Amino acid sequence: MSKLRETLETGGFAVVVELQPPKGTAVTEMLAPVSALKDRVAAFAVPDNEHARMRLAPLAAASLVKEAGGEPLVNLSCRDRNRLALESDLLGAAVLGLENLLLVSGDYVTLGDHPQAKPVYDADSVQLLQIVQGLMAGQDSAGLPLNGNPAFFPGAVVIPEADPLAPQLLKCEKKVTAGAQFFVTPPIFDLDKFRAFREQLPLNPVKLLAGIKVLGPEAAAQAAGGQWRRVYSLPPHLVEELAGKEPEEVLALSATAAGRLLKQIKEEKLADGVYLKAQGRTDLLMQVLEAAGL
Amino acid sequence: MIIAERKPFAEIKAMVAPYKKILIIGCGTCVAVCLAGGEKEVGLLASQLKLALGLEDKRLEIGEITVERQCDLEFLRPLCDFTADYEAIVSMACGAGVQYLKQLCYLQPIFPGVNTSFIGVNNEAGFYTERCRACNHCYLGITGGICPVTMCPKGLLNGPCGGTVNGHCEVDPEKECAWSKIYHNLELEGSLDYMRRIVPLHSHDRRTSPGTVIHPAFKRRYGAHE
Repeated sequence: MSKLRETLETGGFAVVVELQPPKGTAVTEMLAPVSALKDRVAAFAVPDNEHARMRLAPLAAASLVKEAGGEPLVNLSCRDRNRLALESDLLGAAVLGLENLLLVSGDYVTLGDHPQAKPVYDADSVQLLQIVQGLMAGQDSAGLPLNGNPAFFPGAVVIPEADPLAPQLLKCEKKVTAGAQFFVTPPIFDLDKFRAFREQLPLNPVKLLAGIKVLGPEAAAQAAGGQWRRVYSLPPHLVEELAGKEPEEVLALSATAAGRLLKQIKEEKLADGVYLKAQGRTDLLMQVLEAAGL
Repeated sequence: MIIAERKPFAEIKAMVAPYKKILIIGCGTCVAVCLAGGEKEVGLLASQLKLALGLEDKRLEIGEITVERQCDLEFLRPLCDFTADYEAIVSMACGAGVQYLKQLCYLQPIFPGVNTSFIGVNNEAGFYTERCRACNHCYLGITGGICPVTMCPKGLLNGPCGGTVNGHCEVDPEKECAWSKIYHNLELEGSLDYMRRIVPLHSHDRRTSPGTVIHPAFKRRYGAHE
């Protein structure tokens, strides 16, 4: 059983740290947080061409994380693979000992750095969860038997600030039916909205990892310039605090704010853990964890 | 109906450049309604070609004819004898019509005069939007009359992605999220149970985001950029 699964199933507070796979083959920087934090966190997430920007393959990155002594959480997107590729990658993950999965639809290609690429979406995230369930039961999506069944701990994404929220909640229920064992949210900055969302979430006993993000200078500038268009909102006081600051100062202030949020989420038991994004930088991750008292 | 846009003039002119005698064949159905390849557009293209080539001291003999439908043999067969006199043909029909015509007129080169855009509806004169991907497995009965294969750029079948912002699509913020509308329609119908069921994997075809065509003559009316 994976450490992430064990932590969540025994009622512990799971900290998942997101790494940044490189655009290229230089992996030292990506792996730096693993050696520094492997005893302090439950798992290291490896995104799958996040924001539709081409980077190192998540299976390769996750395998390196494992070699470095960390436990990976593999993200797998429906955007770039048809069902054959999804299934063979899932089998690949299993034989590499990668148990934790975060299954997502994936940001659309035109939002990324290969806007002319063909979007795939042969499966959606609900269907991908079903595919995983099928593989675990020894059958591929064509109904053919497997020679050796994989074991996974599949998770999915839910959007607390989705507008409208009702279709999102309905899809969330379908993901539970399709086998999601835990959910990860986009970054949370407004705890009042998050509390309200929790009340509507009919998910017991499915586990929830709240997204915590150290805002970068680019995002802070977008918010200050009134160009914010994301699936999570920022409180005005944070936008004001970060406006006009130097990039490193923005990151330092954001890390402290993220640490405070993390601490409050843990203290109030608003989630079963967090999914922490801090540019993949060890210093920022440490700063957040220290500010949170973890 | 099929929505098409006429190809840029320079592209058509380059295609017919090697020939001295061509025939332009219009189609009187879909592409006539969307002002891309009907009788009037055949006449317009012929005049444009004559004028442009005349300015270059070149001579091109152009025949013009428009049939009811190029996707129908009944209307194509009578063309057979007529087309033999020409070196090349420009078909103003959709891709289906061009290919059907080529089946009959296989000795001559046939060039498409339009780009076939999508299956859509006529919102108002000169303003067309996509509605159908012809996926051969219609979900409209369980999706509140809105096609997720076409109207959701990702073609998701089980609900919205995580990118909806204020009810709008992450891909095109000007467009409402298809799944927000599907939910709304199903709620009004009292049919939300349809959306609660998991739709299994589908055989996908090539996809692009839902398209819009505004005829050049109507761009000013709809505030589109030139």
